[in-house]
Amino acid sequence: MKERLLSMPDNFRMAVKSAWRGRERGLAIFAGVFLASLVITTVLAYSVGLSQAFLQYSLENDTFDAKVDFADEPGPDADGRTNDSVLWESMCDDFVVMEEFSDCGIVYGRQGVRWSGTFGDDGFVVPQPLNVISATGSTGDWANVSWDYPEAGDFGPPINDQRIVRFYGDGIWDGELGERHAKQVLYGTWPLPDDASSNRSILLPLRIASQAGVSVNDTIDSLTFTYVTDYLSFENINDGFDDCRGTARIEQSGYMFCRVNMTVENLRVAGILSEAGAGNPTLLFNPLIITDSVLSDEQKLILMENDHGYLGLAVDRNLVPTSSTNDAQDWLVKIEKQIESATYTDAQIEVEYNDLISSTIGFLEFFLALIQLFDYILMIPIVILSFSVLIYGLILSLEQRRREISIHRVIGGTERGLTSMVMSEVTVFSIVAWLSGYLIAMLTVPLVLDAVGFMEFRASDIDVNPVLSLLSTIFTVLLTVGLAYLFGYGRTKEFLNIEIDEGVRKVSAKSKPKYWLHTIIFIIGLLAFTDSWIESTNPGSEGILTGFFIDGVVKLFGPFCLWIGGALVLGRIGAAGPKIFSALLSWSPAISDIKRGLRGSGSSESVSRLAVIMLLTLSIVTLAAVQGYTGTVVDERTASAQSGADIQVQFTQPVTEQEAIAIVTEAIIRADDSEVKQVQSATAVSSIFTNPKGEGAVLTTWIVFDGHEDTLHWDKQSIPGDDIDMVVSQWSGNGFTAGEAAVEILDIDSDEVYFTFEYKEYQYEGLSPDFVPIITVTVTEANLTYMGKHEWIPGLSTTETEQSLVVGENTYRQMVGDSVADSFSSSRWFFELCDQTDDNCGNALRTLNAELTADAETSSVTDWSSTHREVERNGGLIFGTPGLLSLQFVVASLASVASAFVFLSLVLTQRKRELAILQAIGASSNQVIRLVLFEILSIIMASMAMGVALGLAVAYSFNGFFAVFGFIFQIFGGQSTTISRDLVWPWLDLGLVNLSVLIAVVLALLYTTRRALQADLAVVLKGE
Amino acid sequence: MSTHDNEILRADSLYHVYESNAEDGNVVALRGIHVTVYDGEAVAVIGPSGSGKSTLLKSLGGLMKPSAGKVSLAGKGLTRMTGHELVEHRQNTVSFIFQDSNLLPHLNALDNVAQPLRHQGVLPGEARAKAQKLLDRLGMGERARGMPEELSGGEQQRVAIARALITEPKLILADEPTGALDPITSREVLELFDTLHKEEDVAFFLVTHNRDVAAFCERSLELRDGRFVAQHGTDVDISDLSGSRELIIDDTGTVTLPPDILTEIGGPGRFEIPDIVRDSLNLERVAEERIDIDGKAELILAATCPACFHDYGDSEEQRCPECGSSRPMVQA
Repeated sequence: MKERLLSMPDNFRMAVKSAWRGRERGLAIFAGVFLASLVITTVLAYSVGLSQAFLQYSLENDTFDAKVDFADEPGPDADGRTNDSVLWESMCDDFVVMEEFSDCGIVYGRQGVRWSGTFGDDGFVVPQPLNVISATGSTGDWANVSWDYPEAGDFGPPINDQRIVRFYGDGIWDGELGERHAKQVLYGTWPLPDDASSNRSILLPLRIASQAGVSVNDTIDSLTFTYVTDYLSFENINDGFDDCRGTARIEQSGYMFCRVNMTVENLRVAGILSEAGAGNPTLLFNPLIITDSVLSDEQKLILMENDHGYLGLAVDRNLVPTSSTNDAQDWLVKIEKQIESATYTDAQIEVEYNDLISSTIGFLEFFLALIQLFDYILMIPIVILSFSVLIYGLILSLEQRRREISIHRVIGGTERGLTSMVMSEVTVFSIVAWLSGYLIAMLTVPLVLDAVGFMEFRASDIDVNPVLSLLSTIFTVLLTVGLAYLFGYGRTKEFLNIEIDEGVRKVSAKSKPKYWLHTIIFIIGLLAFTDSWIESTNPGSEGILTGFFIDGVVKLFGPFCLWIGGALVLGRIGAAGPKIFSALLSWSPAISDIKRGLRGSGSSESVSRLAVIMLLTLSIVTLAAVQGYTGTVVDERTASAQSGADIQVQFTQPVTEQEAIAIVTEAIIRADDSEVKQVQSATAVSSIFTNPKGEGAVLTTWIVFDGHEDTLHWDKQSIPGDDIDMVVSQWSGNGFTAGEAAVEILDIDSDEVYFTFEYKEYQYEGLSPDFVPIITVTVTEANLTYMGKHEWIPGLSTTETEQSLVVGENTYRQMVGDSVADSFSSSRWFFELCDQTDDNCGNALRTLNAELTADAETSSVTDWSSTHREVERNGGLIFGTPGLLSLQFVVASLASVASAFVFLSLVLTQRKRELAILQAIGASSNQVIRLVLFEILSIIMASMAMGVALGLAVAYSFNGFFAVFGFIFQIFGGQSTTISRDLVWPWLDLGLVNLSVLIAVVLALLYTTRRALQADLAVVLKGE
Repeated sequence: MSTHDNEILRADSLYHVYESNAEDGNVVALRGIHVTVYDGEAVAVIGPSGSGKSTLLKSLGGLMKPSAGKVSLAGKGLTRMTGHELVEHRQNTVSFIFQDSNLLPHLNALDNVAQPLRHQGVLPGEARAKAQKLLDRLGMGERARGMPEELSGGEQQRVAIARALITEPKLILADEPTGALDPITSREVLELFDTLHKEEDVAFFLVTHNRDVAAFCERSLELRDGRFVAQHGTDVDISDLSGSRELIIDDTGTVTLPPDILTEIGGPGRFEIPDIVRDSLNLERVAEERIDIDGKAELILAATCPACFHDYGDSEEQRCPECGSSRPMVQA
């Protein structure tokens, strides 16, 4: 035992040394373990990062993670309260020293929330915020400002529907909370605590600022808000308040509140805040923010007495466990319990901890699980690939040690000693490989999460720190190093057994590859492929497989069967490449002299392994490229279908084209972005009601105006056929298209193409003598040609267009007359401004969106760029899936180049002797090089061609799987128009990868063949 | 002959059959070998290619298990030993030297020599010190750090010899130790063997084709078709074995005549032993088989099969189509 211990360092040194000297054979083990480690770690870390990113993304609008209130309501019997705001604020020091919290500060705003239950409960609805009721200032038109904020009710429970204000203590202006708030600043800056108090800073939400027409550094003379002193629930509203010194009113929530005014003066605008969307409703939305230094001590005391003072906390979000949402919730609950169970300061203050994160997490749980499932399945091929590289690598490298092991046995090596010798080398290689893979994966994950499209990355402001738990790390070690160890161990044992009976040389019936099994797997894969091909080309058909269960199983496993079975079966054809090519090129003088040498090639095991590996890797490269590209394009098309045009504006009331353009032009001038100077074109999609002549059914009929095609982003999938120009011109003639449901209502069968539609205009002519309204009906008719089914109109939801017709301007004029058409107005307009896919244009569109949103005349604005970003995050391929596909593409490309290189070197080293014999019997080096080049290149090229073809077929097979998940994600993302995944073939990328593989192969070939040729013939031939 | 009485190696009735897919079926490599090597003795095995020399060497050294028979090394039978016991026993008794030195390519000369001790669990420092000493003694001290590929053939073989010696074996089994060396180097190697043999009292069991190697040994055993047929003394001449040949009759009483003797006595047949006396064997062919060998005898193919009396007629067949017996030649 002692000897073993003392020998350990030396054994290790020898293992490292021999690993280094045998690095060529080690490269194969390294490549396998490295790939496996890289891929598995990336997938696991990606999951962690995904949870973090998703959490952060969902919490983006929430600046506070917790609201800490007094445990007791104010009142004479209240325990553990204080009205001393300085003491209350000082408790932040206790919280910030805890590692769970990164920042804390006092806030005057919503009253204490003491509640555990549903959002509808008293405890949640009754506590009121501070509401702004008026402001005055010399620079702004404050009379024009509406302090109503009805959207608050849409975003959450009916707590309050007025604009709110919060006063922040010093703790919130700096640190983590300061940073979070700063992200919401559109114009101006988020001030530091000293600046905030010396400048008496106020930050205004965008809409307030634009209604008042104030900008950064303007001053506000006074701002009046209300605080709540008391409330009555509906049972005792009639009793009224005893001593309400303010105004009493029943509010949206059904409760009556006593509100008292308070005024602060001399404020300076430090910044304008973006109007963020809905977040957690506990703190209510989009407040005016003012430094608490503008409040007098007396005012602070009043607010404290009336329960309006709370502590706002920031949790160190990176500490929230990301392994599962349950873990995260447990962690949060633990903090809550810990905080609530303690008392603070000498005053024995007791608190109520309102956690704002966990409610967000609840929603994430299901969705995240779904995404992770999808991504795990997505990565199966590359994991299998890396394992197969690992196993092939181990076989080849151990094969090379055969002789060495037998020498060791002769000089007295014990079985145990030799096993441990081989295994320590395998272990050294695989640990180094695992570590490299692990570290690189950790660096890669943020990049993967930043991917917004296939091989497209955009740094997001989300800060992810994906750290794998110890358990997951051990899992990656077990799966990579462990597998290498186990496999190497078995293989070494086998060797040692062979050597014992060396002389016996049993007629070992070498187990033949199970070709029948390969073929069956391939056939199942082909079946699945054919089935989905038939189903996609003949919509409605059930394909070859009809049973629900069998169909489902084959669909799920089919792509994998196609991939693996295809690689194994086609690998044999690839290995036969030299025969095929020499038959094809038999006329050529270039190979006439080496033809004989080619006859036996392609039969060796290592050559067919090379072919199989090439097929496996290149088909994955193809799969990743095709699906990645398709996903990117689908995202763009989804964005186009949603926004309809570069920008879509919903006005508060119908406006004419000139008015709409004028409003947008003003916003363009305000935004002052050089990318967008003017409106290039605009269009609206109007609607009237028509009915087929002689029938009662009334149909919504959408009108696309001439020139709409310049503005609207039409998609081939949205129209009948695939020629957009033709459909556009048919609309401007007297053609119409119908939605799915409209086709049924009209009962259109394919032969019928001519329809007459009626448009009825009702004219109110006053009242008849007996007070019956006189209405005259003018009916106009139009004869229309049926063009086919439309799927959607850009910018409109599918539900809006499903039951309707689409006609052109010409038809519209026939029906309503020129005068009506000329004075047409609409509340929804679409604008063409710039090339939306260009990044600069995208930035300009988002700025313009903010400007238009702030405009009082608009009610909602959708721009292509924001929609696209939204779709990228929530759409067909969610959060980093394009990144995973990009990773798959890169890793598989590298793997194909590297394995071509490594395997070729090994294969050729094994064939050194054969090449030497060829030379010995008179082949020139030129002939040998040509022979090898021809042989290997024909294998590689045959495998490449089949690899790409197989990849395309696998990509096609996988499409159903992508479509299902993409559809689920789109539904979750709240998208109404779903684009079906038409595959896009990125030939350029595929060509580049194949070219680099070819170059790598030629280099490897020249290098190894030359080395083999330079070797001393006699030495090589002397044998072993 | 050596004067030592302790057996270091003894093999009884060794048989070995290689399985083969060839048409003729399995190949018999050893057919009942008996051999004994005494402490400090040097024995050579000579014989044509394919006579089973290498198989014998591996069987004797415990590198493979013969199909049948018993080998005992330093008094212990190898046949029944488990893998681990066997390795340990080999470590303590025997070393091997091969035609090509079979050095470990990734280790330098010193580590190659130290490796057997490392396998025995000797600490690295100690093992290397001993290896260095040994290399110094073999005149390889300065090349100790060289990698095998940097050494000449002779140097490699010296390293291999050092490696064989480091465990202080009682017996060295060598398979054509000079086969890959030029005459001068091989003479140097032999001198080294000779010194070791004399100074260290190491027993040698060598397989060789080389006259010098055989001459170095006290006796040479002639192996033919998997059997020891004869023994030769130090005066052995590999190109003409008849001069020094002593036929062997083993414990089971088997004697095998080398082909040249067989031809001289007129081929196989039945023999009488007219007078049985100690230390002498006189064979006489039985009367009915004796052939008058006056003049040149003309032999022709027999007209009928001696086993089943099949009539060959004019055919030139070598085998009887009915019973498969080979067709003998008879006096014309």
